[in-house]
Amino acid sequence: MALLEIRGITKNFGMLKALDDVNVNVEQGDVLGIVGPNGSGKTTLINVISGFYQPTKGGIFLDGKNIAGLRPDQITARGIGRTFQSNVMYEGLTVIQSMLVSSLLQYKTGSWKAFFGTRTYREEHERVVGRVLEILRLLDLFNDTFIAADKLSYGYQRMLGIAIALAANPKILMLDEPTTGMNYEEAMFVVENIRKLRDQGITVLMIEHNMKVVTNVATNVVVLNFGTKIAEGPPHVVMNNKDVIEAYLGTENFGANN
Amino acid sequence: MNPHIDWRNTFPKIVACILAAPALIVPLLTDNPATLSTMILSGIWAVVAMGFTLILWTGQFSLGQAAFMAIGGYTSGILSARLGWPFWPSFLTAGLVSGAVACAVGAVVLRVGGFYFSIITLALGEIVRIIAMQWQSVTRGTRGLVAYPPEAISLGFIKIDFEATPVPYYYFMIVLVAVTGLIYWRIGKSRLGGTFFSVAINPMLAEHQGIHLMKFRVMAFTVAGVFTGLAGSFYAHFLQAVTPYMLGIPESIQVMIMSIVGGVSSLVAGPIIGSVVLYNLSQFLQRAGSDLQTSGFVLEGIQPLVFGGAVVCILLFLPRGSGLIDLWTRFWKRVYKEVDFYELPEDLEEETNTH
Repeated sequence: MALLEIRGITKNFGMLKALDDVNVNVEQGDVLGIVGPNGSGKTTLINVISGFYQPTKGGIFLDGKNIAGLRPDQITARGIGRTFQSNVMYEGLTVIQSMLVSSLLQYKTGSWKAFFGTRTYREEHERVVGRVLEILRLLDLFNDTFIAADKLSYGYQRMLGIAIALAANPKILMLDEPTTGMNYEEAMFVVENIRKLRDQGITVLMIEHNMKVVTNVATNVVVLNFGTKIAEGPPHVVMNNKDVIEAYLGTENFGANN
Repeated sequence: MNPHIDWRNTFPKIVACILAAPALIVPLLTDNPATLSTMILSGIWAVVAMGFTLILWTGQFSLGQAAFMAIGGYTSGILSARLGWPFWPSFLTAGLVSGAVACAVGAVVLRVGGFYFSIITLALGEIVRIIAMQWQSVTRGTRGLVAYPPEAISLGFIKIDFEATPVPYYYFMIVLVAVTGLIYWRIGKSRLGGTFFSVAINPMLAEHQGIHLMKFRVMAFTVAGVFTGLAGSFYAHFLQAVTPYMLGIPESIQVMIMSIVGGVSSLVAGPIIGSVVLYNLSQFLQRAGSDLQTSGFVLEGIQPLVFGGAVVCILLFLPRGSGLIDLWTRFWKRVYKEVDFYELPEDLEEETNTH
């Protein structure tokens, strides 16, 4: 039984079929690339898994239990975290504040103990701050700890997005276009970190357009087009799949002989 | 200088305490019941305004806080005047009932949130008023209830008599403001405050970090409900009456304005400053108005004008949402440029400052 099983997920927005009977299995330790042309349903799939959208049909099984229909906060509590394509931030907060505010799941102490500032809370708080700083160090954000998040450069803002998602202690991390807008070096830095995360036991799902990144780090790839899965397998196999090439580039002979 | 005290943060607080200290001896400085009454009412409104700000900190605009005052006032009025309860249990129960209503209403209404929530809280004021008017058997309708002053307290040879002068009410107000302020301040500084903030500024992101939005919205709404109910009960027992017309939409809006003018970025000091400044200003103008009236000038409706004008000025001149408190913060930033304080930077701040 796979760690995450997406079975028959269909998502309709009125008449628009954004996802149509999508089936994907993700094993523990995978780095799954989710690729496809724009509008193929990649982000919608992430949104459905994270609980932001309710699926019209189908189920999502985490360790065998169906999590479809739960709220996003419940799903994150069960170990699935995500980043956002448009890199959402907390306006006005510094890097460290953004992280602490996003780390609620790292605490076992409840609101009452936090309010009174009991010793158990304060000890736990110190540990959480330590872990948060580790995450910042890992993603090269340590030097920016006290900087306002919206003053970071674009690349570092995306890294902060990943750091925030990591603050929730996910077992499965879903990254929505993590290297968009980055140059080669920055993209490889992200790849480095995805490898480090995988080594720490985190399973990664990654929406990507950059094929170098995908071939570099993904263990397997799923291709979506118009809401359906059109191919699946290791990166180099999928890249050479005729249907996949057609989906991205159009039919070879179109217009050639007409 | 003691190297372990963060003087940058502590010094302004010490100055604030020194500036606020005279409040404790106001009754020794003046006998005028009108002055005391104004200060007492400012304090009551400050407590309510703090509740508004707390709810705002979870991203919601409640235009119905006066309704919770009314619920508190009526609860303690009914318990004391109609059921013969002594003041203190009535007072505390008023807070609990108001909180319970806030929790129940919030659990339903906070799901829609945003604009719809604000409209519904506005309607809440009217609903409470209508219930107060119609449920004659309990509330005596438009005739209202008499809310007796608290019973005298005997402490050894000192007898605190609430019936003679407003002075005991004044100190009661000080205690209420201090206790409420302490609790709200602690909420703001703790992990709860950060969580509320994240729910307000980016609910989608907060949700994906495992924060259950409804739980925290209802929590804030309920806490505000409890203390607003207590304030309402005090209000009723101070004015010694509770009627359907005394707390409605204009009062809810007044509370909102006090919070905004004081500064929404501050959970305790902002509302206090906003309510003291605005309430005193409006009372002063009202008295000036009635003085002028004798010489033919009519200054009707000065209070809404003052309040509205104050908001406009604040929004124009102190637009970063920080209201009057912003003046305080900016003052201290200026001070630090001129004066050399022994700053003990957090090791972290030095370590990270490699830019």
